[in-house]
Amino acid sequence: MHHAHIDKFAYQDSLIHRLDCRIKFMVLLVFTAVVISLPRTSPGILTCYAIGPFTILVWAKIPLRFVFKHILLVSPFVVVLALSCPLYDKTPVTVAFGPIIWQSSLGWMRCFTILAKFIVTMSALIALVSTTRFNDLLTGLQRLGVPKLLTVQLGFLYRYIFVLIDRTHRMLRARAGRKLRNLGFKAELKIAAAMLGSLLVRSIDNAEHTNIAMQARGFDGNWRTISKLQIHRADYVFATAAAFFLLVLHFFVKPVVL
Amino acid sequence: MPKAIELRNFSYSYPDGTATLSDVTLSIDHGQRVALIGPNGAGKSTLLLAMAGFVKGRGKVFIDGLEINRKNLKKIRMLLGSCLENPDDQLFMPRLFDDIAFGPLNMGLEAEQVKARVADALQTVGLTDMADKAPHHLSAGQKRAAAIATILSMAPKIITLDEPDANLDPRNRNNLIKLLTGLSQTLIIATCNMNFAGEIADRAVLLDKGCIIADGAAKKIMSDSELMTEHGLEVPAELKEENKTSLKRK
Repeated sequence: MHHAHIDKFAYQDSLIHRLDCRIKFMVLLVFTAVVISLPRTSPGILTCYAIGPFTILVWAKIPLRFVFKHILLVSPFVVVLALSCPLYDKTPVTVAFGPIIWQSSLGWMRCFTILAKFIVTMSALIALVSTTRFNDLLTGLQRLGVPKLLTVQLGFLYRYIFVLIDRTHRMLRARAGRKLRNLGFKAELKIAAAMLGSLLVRSIDNAEHTNIAMQARGFDGNWRTISKLQIHRADYVFATAAAFFLLVLHFFVKPVVL
Repeated sequence: MPKAIELRNFSYSYPDGTATLSDVTLSIDHGQRVALIGPNGAGKSTLLLAMAGFVKGRGKVFIDGLEINRKNLKKIRMLLGSCLENPDDQLFMPRLFDDIAFGPLNMGLEAEQVKARVADALQTVGLTDMADKAPHHLSAGQKRAAAIATILSMAPKIITLDEPDANLDPRNRNNLIKLLTGLSQTLIIATCNMNFAGEIADRAVLLDKGCIIADGAAKKIMSDSELMTEHGLEVPAELKEENKTSLKRK
């Protein structure tokens, strides 16, 4: 079955794709921390911060439609949180976006800030996963000191989530093929529980087989991989450019606290 | 010279008491290609697991003269490569290269040696350009070939394969037959597909209800239509034709 993978552009080739994933990850981490720690600010300031990830996305030839589609996919929780702000904070404020000035409420400004920060940080995250192969990312995380147990679990998750999705689709299809009438909420719930149980049992069965496959190839509890990560001059240039970008924004573009 | 595989009066029952293998005695020489044939639930997969030391029952199992026990297990893993029925169980790493390198790395080989082994294994199965692919991006035939490559990279003397032709279309099945017949290792293949078994094996072991029913030349056993029907199997198409021709001649 075909899946829309979040890392489907990670196998392209560009200067950004070739950068060491550790540098990209560290830049993402610092960038996200800076954006999140910005006080409530005007739209112009956050637009300046958005220049960073979007420049990388365009440079790496990642379609912006793909980026926005994935931001939308994970947005519901944040949207609900953001849209609740105007309901409880109606303090009037004056907002400026360049020469345009208008009246709004503090709640709406909070809502905008949450959404804008979410879009900016998510686009930076998508820029990382779309320009880095998942396997390299795991190796990079390991080299940065993330516990092996966690990276191994992430590796298994990435490997088997699609197998699980395929299996669920097949079960749903089999159910749809035999479900000829509306069964009512209670019966549907019972069927859903049985399906979940079946998925769980089959996943445990899978895990046992995978364990056999690992032991058959000499696995003794120590996870060994060949790492080919190396930091080059381009990585230092990228890190310096990112630091320069953040410093310029920090010192010359002062956020307007509302 | 020790036998590649030797089972002496091996029996195994599931924890609920269901007997899966009963008093199995079997020896396989180096270089043989053996088809373990039998209906579903005959005990073929369990027998393969017993050969690799994954199920412990009564009786003894020897691999290349080494008895399967805790002390010999690491050596046995290097001698005998097991390929499971579902390639998704066999391919568990996010990248094919790492999956194929997994065994050699656990054997303690140096990085350069591992890379060479991965390249050789990928070339043997015809997936040279796929090293950087994630397993879920491969087709069913490619997954099967990749699963075999994960074993080949360890350069074992013996390879066991559980239903390797499952879910393969004719083209991929033919590619697999070519691949397996080109290998020099001792092969033990568990299958219900008699046409597939007939193409590869020179010896057949018929298993039913956990017991060995027949053991001998593959053609001889698989052309016995009465025996095959009695145990829920069929005579391969090629042998059916041969039988017809020889009857006509008579």
